[in-house]
Amino acid sequence: MDAISRNNVTVTGQPDGPVVMLAHGFGCDQNMWRLVVPMLAERFRVVLFDYVGSGRSDPSAWDGQRYASLEGYAADVLDICAELDLSEVVFVGHSVSAMVGVLAAARRPDRFGKLVMVAPSPCYIDDPEAGYTGGFSAADIDELLESLDSNYLGWSAAMAPVIMDNPERPELGEELTNSFCATDPGMAAVFARTTFLSDSRGDLASVTVPTLVLECARDVIAPREVGAYVHATIPGSRLVTLDATGHCPQLSAPEATGQAIMEFAGAPR
Amino acid sequence: MTTALTLTAHPVPTGTVLTVAGELDHNSADRFRTALGAITMRPGDLLTVDLADLGFCDSTGITALLAARNHTHALGADIALTAIPLPTLRIMRILGLDRVFTIHPTPDTDPSR
Amino acid sequence: MCEATDDEPEQATEAGVGDGGEDADEAELAQFSALLEDSAEDLYEHAPCGYLSTLMDGRIAKVNTTLLDWLGYRRTQLVGRKRFADLLTVGGKLYHETHFAPLLAMQGKVSGIALELRAADGSRLPVLVTSTVKTGGDGQPLLIRTTVFDARDRRAYENELLRARKHAERAGAEAEQARAEAERAHQAAESEHARLRQVMAILQHSLLPPDLPQVPGMEAAAYYHTASADQLGGDFYDLFALGQGQWGFFLGDVCGKGPQAAAVTSLTRYTLRAAFLHAGDPAAALDTLNTALQERYTGTDPRYCTAIAGTLTPHGDTLRVTVASGGHPPALLLRADGTAEYLPTPGGLLVGIMSHPHFTTATTVLHPGDTMLLYTDGLTEARTADGPRYSEDHLHTFARTLAPAGAQQAITALTGLLEGFGDGLDDDTALLALGNPAPHTNPEGA
Repeated sequence: MDAISRNNVTVTGQPDGPVVMLAHGFGCDQNMWRLVVPMLAERFRVVLFDYVGSGRSDPSAWDGQRYASLEGYAADVLDICAELDLSEVVFVGHSVSAMVGVLAAARRPDRFGKLVMVAPSPCYIDDPEAGYTGGFSAADIDELLESLDSNYLGWSAAMAPVIMDNPERPELGEELTNSFCATDPGMAAVFARTTFLSDSRGDLASVTVPTLVLECARDVIAPREVGAYVHATIPGSRLVTLDATGHCPQLSAPEATGQAIMEFAGAPR
Repeated sequence: MTTALTLTAHPVPTGTVLTVAGELDHNSADRFRTALGAITMRPGDLLTVDLADLGFCDSTGITALLAARNHTHALGADIALTAIPLPTLRIMRILGLDRVFTIHPTPDTDPSR
Repeated sequence: MCEATDDEPEQATEAGVGDGGEDADEAELAQFSALLEDSAEDLYEHAPCGYLSTLMDGRIAKVNTTLLDWLGYRRTQLVGRKRFADLLTVGGKLYHETHFAPLLAMQGKVSGIALELRAADGSRLPVLVTSTVKTGGDGQPLLIRTTVFDARDRRAYENELLRARKHAERAGAEAEQARAEAERAHQAAESEHARLRQVMAILQHSLLPPDLPQVPGMEAAAYYHTASADQLGGDFYDLFALGQGQWGFFLGDVCGKGPQAAAVTSLTRYTLRAAFLHAGDPAAALDTLNTALQERYTGTDPRYCTAIAGTLTPHGDTLRVTVASGGHPPALLLRADGTAEYLPTPGGLLVGIMSHPHFTTATTVLHPGDTMLLYTDGLTEARTADGPRYSEDHLHTFARTLAPAGAQQAITALTGLLEGFGDGLDDDTALLALGNPAPHTNPEGA
C-alpha cells in the first residue's frame, strides 16, 4: 500500500534539511498547520499528511477496526516513515496526535529524534480517584459522542465548506481552494471515539526521546492541569506555555508556535 | 390436485347401489374408502358398485376395490361390480380379478333379485 | 389631502399633513417610523435573532436582549465575563476549536454553522451561527460579530430527516437480513432435498440387483425407469443361479409407490428368491410370496403385486423356460426367424390378496437367436403423443419389426421407445430380456 497517496503526504521545505513531521489531531487535517509551514520550511524538510479517515486521505483505505485504536494511527505514521525512509524525525503532534507520536516512537525508536506535543492530552476524561484532571467528565464525553452521532447532519453540513474567494483577505491566496477539514462524518465519529475514550497515560513514562510540551494558557480541551501532568510524567521533558487562547495555537498563535518548534527542533540533542 | 370423483349411494331392497363416476386413483381413493365406510351393511346385504361412468382407474383404484371387497366380506355382506368399462376390465383380467370379483355387465335394477 | 377635520384631534400624526407631493410621502414615512418608535438600538436589542460581539479571544463584549432572553442570562453575567465558547456544549466547543475558529481566522467569515448553546438553566438550544470579523482601518481584526438564529424548527426537521434515514437504513438492513435468511433457508431446503434424493437413489439401487450375473450360454439385459426421482419405484426384477446349471428369474410390479411400496418390493424380492431356492418351481414360489404378503398386509391396506417368475434350464443349445404369472402381462418372445409372439399366461391372479390363488404356468423353448422379454405395465400403459395408451398390440407390432434381436439389442431398442414417450411415461417401468445367443455371436452378457 502506497502510504504517500493513501495518506495524502505533502513534502516541502529543504530537501536536505532535518525532518519535521506535522501530525494533525481530531477534527481536521494537515491544513491546520498551514500558518506555521512557511516558517519551518526555511530550515527543515517538512512532512505533512492526513490520517486515513481525515482530510483527503484515500477513503477506500478506511478500516473501522484499525482506526478504532491509536495504534492504527501510529501505523500510518510508521508506514510514511518507512516509505520515505526517514530517521531522526522531529515529530510534532497536535492534541491526540501527540500520543500517536508516543506510540510510534515506542515501536520504532530508530525513526524518531525528538517529540513536540502541541496542546497534548493523554486522557480527556477526569479520573478523580487518581487525582487526574482531564478536563471532561464521563458524562461530557458521552454527550460529545452522542452529539457527533445525532448532529450528524449539522456536522456534515458544516464540515464541507468551500473556501470562498475572499477579497478582504487577499493573503489567503488561491492555494486554499480545496475544502477545509472535510471529513466523512462516519469516519470522524470513529476518530472521535478513539480520541476521547483513549487513555494513554501509561505510555508517557516510557518516552525516551527529548520531548517538548507546548500548551496554551487558556485551552478548554486540554486544560493547564493536563499539560502539567504530561510534563511531569515524561522524563526530561520541557514545558512551554503559549499566551494563547483555545486549543489550536498553530492557528491562533502561529508565530509563537512555529518559533517554539524551530528552537526545539534546531537545538542540539 | 383434486380428482373428479362423484359417489352416490342409494339403498335398494337387497342392499346398496354405489355409483362411481369419474377417476379412481391415488388422489380420490380415500374418498371412495370414506364413502364406503358410511354405507350401512348387514349380513346378507349386497353392495353393487356401478362403474359405468368410471374413467381412469389405476393400481390404487384396484386396491380400493379390493379393500372394499375385504370390508364387505368382513361385515358378512357381499360385493358385485357392474358395467366395468373395457379398459378397467382388461386390467382386471390380466390381474386375474375377473375370477375374484362378481362381475355383472349392467346394474341389476330388478328389486326382486 | 387631509383637512384637519378634528374627528380625532389627539392623533398627532395627522397634524401638519396636507402639503401634497413628495414632501407628503417623506412626511408620511417619518410619521410611520415615529409611530413605530423605532431606533437602531431598539432594532438591535429586540431583533428576531440573537446578536453577539466578541473580542478576538472570544470574550463577550456585547449581547442583545433577544439572545439574553433565549439563554436566560442577565447582561452582567456574560459581558466581559464569558467567552462565546463557554456558551457552547462540549461537542460545540470542540467544533468551535477545530473548525469554527480556524475558518473564521482564515476567511474572516463563517456562516450557517449548526451548534447548540447552553442556556443558564442547563437546557440546550439548537442554533445556526454566522460570524464575521470586523477589521479596523489598517486591516487589523478587531472583533467578531455573531448572529444567532433559533434553529429549533430546523433542527426538528433535521432530526426527522435523520430518523427517517436511520429507519430506512435499518429497514434496508433488515430486508437484507431477511433476504439472506430466506436464501439460507432455501439453500438448506435444497441441500436437504438433494440429500433425500441421494438416499432415495441409494435405496432404489439396493432394491435392484446391481448387475445381472453372467450366465454361460445366455445373454441377459435389463432396464429400469423410475417415473419420479422423489418416490421409490415399485417395480422389481432379479436373475440368479439355482444350482445345477439352472437359473431363476422374476419381474414384477408392486402396487403403489413410495416407502410402503418399497418395503413390499423388498419383501417380495427376498421371499421369491428364497422360495425359488427352496422350491425351484415358479408357481410354488409365487404361492409362497402370496402367503407372505397376505400375512403381512390385510384389510384396509391390502398390498399386492403382479409378478412373472420362471426358470431357465439349458438343454443342449436350447434354453427350456417355465414361467408362472401372477396377474402379470404376458412375456414377449422374439424369435430368430423374425416373428414375435406373446407367451400367454391368462388367468393368473395378482399375488397377495387371496388364499389359494391360481397362477397360470406356461413353458417354451428358446433356440439360438431367440429372446424372451419381460416388462411391467408402465410400458403398455404409457400415453402416446396422440393420447391413447401404447397397448399390447403396439408392443407386439414393435416386437415384430425388432425380431430377431439379442437381449441387449432388445433392451436398447425398447429404451429408445420409452424415451420417446417422454411425459407420457408416467409410471415406473422395468424390462428384463433373456436370450439364447445366435450362433457366431458372442454373448454380450449383462
